[in-house]
Amino acid sequence: MSKEIKNVTVGKISDFPVGKCTIVNIDGREIGIAQLKNGEFRAVRNHCPHKGAPVCKGFIAGTMLPGDVGELIFGRDGEILVCPWHGYEFDLNSGQQVYQESPAKLLMFPVTIKNDDVVVAI
Amino acid sequence: MDMPEKPKSNQGDAFKVIDCDVHPYVKDGIKSVFPYMPDAWKQRFIRKNAHVGSHARPLKYEHPNGNVNRVDARPPCGGVSGSDPHFLVKDLLEQNKIQHAVLNCLQTGALCSTLAGTDESIVLCSAFNDFLVDQWLTVDNRLKFAMSVPSQDPVASAAEIRRLGKHPQIVAVSLPLLNILMGNRYWWPIYAAAEEMQLPILVHVTGPDSVYYGPPMSSGGIPDSYVERYVTLCQAGESSVNSLVFSGVFEKFQNLKVIFVEYGFLWLLPLLWRMDRTWRQLRHEVPWVKKSPVEYVHKHIRFSTQPIDEPQNPKDLDKLIELMGYDQLCFSTDYPHWDNDMPGQSLRGLPKSEREKIFWDNALNTFRMK
Repeated sequence: MSKEIKNVTVGKISDFPVGKCTIVNIDGREIGIAQLKNGEFRAVRNHCPHKGAPVCKGFIAGTMLPGDVGELIFGRDGEILVCPWHGYEFDLNSGQQVYQESPAKLLMFPVTIKNDDVVVAI
Repeated sequence: MDMPEKPKSNQGDAFKVIDCDVHPYVKDGIKSVFPYMPDAWKQRFIRKNAHVGSHARPLKYEHPNGNVNRVDARPPCGGVSGSDPHFLVKDLLEQNKIQHAVLNCLQTGALCSTLAGTDESIVLCSAFNDFLVDQWLTVDNRLKFAMSVPSQDPVASAAEIRRLGKHPQIVAVSLPLLNILMGNRYWWPIYAAAEEMQLPILVHVTGPDSVYYGPPMSSGGIPDSYVERYVTLCQAGESSVNSLVFSGVFEKFQNLKVIFVEYGFLWLLPLLWRMDRTWRQLRHEVPWVKKSPVEYVHKHIRFSTQPIDEPQNPKDLDKLIELMGYDQLCFSTDYPHWDNDMPGQSLRGLPKSEREKIFWDNALNTFRMK
């Protein structure tokens, strides 16, 4: 059975501050809306693939890139969603855990901007 | 008293055996190595009666049967078990068809980790190493040697590795552990020298562990008996694996190998699961750990088999080893100690091809033997 995709306007651009995840309810499903630093939007199901935590109640941050022993290289600021329970880091571009091969990833929905409206295809 | 006939333990087995843990005993201890040290140091040790000391452990840690050595392994000419290389070759290697036996001298280890002062340990370590090279390795080419290092001084340890490490029968560096975790940068000069000489680091309890301050201690408090202490000695192995990986040792020394001898191995599986899970959660604290801890351990670390744990259902052991993977283990006897395992009676429930890996291939790929 195929489910029909529908476009839902969740608010204006100004309703979603950069670097935060704002949770909206679409037909009973909690979806986190995040505006990235580059102005792109992400819509993420509020469900961590690890143990079902409300992942969108975590925080958006950068992370430490792989480097030499004893060296810290901070990068990807604003691209990483950190789960509030077990600290898993997810890439908001791909939905994957960062620097790890894992079959589990965030469920993300396409977002478009129409005029000033943020529209999620769900 | 009639002694029971020894089991002909490896007869009927067709495969070859490398024994990763054999303990030579230097008869008369420090006195025997006087010819291998400067005279001034000899005079110092004579004057403090170091050459007659027994360095006994406290009463509560003495073996309940009075001896950690097998009484049936005493040389016919007399002396302590493991003190005659000719008899050891006959009694261990030839009886059990062992092609290579890695010697690890615990007298040196105990002096270096704890019993001797730093400068004393440097002199004694070289003297014991030279004694064993001179008086043991010349007896039989099947005898290989994990040379000791004076671990209270990492720079001197590195120098000792470079001084002696090219000997063709030296196949590893025996590192007497201190109560400093193995990932600590204190150890890095030793790792650099070992890697340079293509020698793995071999770690083994040296004797004063959990007895005196200096070597690793049992977790949570001081054990009350030999039995309690014995069971907890594996804890340092677990802490060390964890430390090596998360401190980035194997990123810094990408060709370094480490073998944990006599620390047990069944604890590895839950340790790796926990290390992997925690790394996946909090990788960003140690971003130099670029892949799962499981991968580092499988590439760089091996474990000797003895003392093999004995679940009530022996098949449980086979299953756990299957879960661990057969590439992690290297067979060891621990001859001539009381709790030794002989090849013919060990790991018989495993498939033959996997048993061959544990008895031969894995050690050949770990020690500098090729």
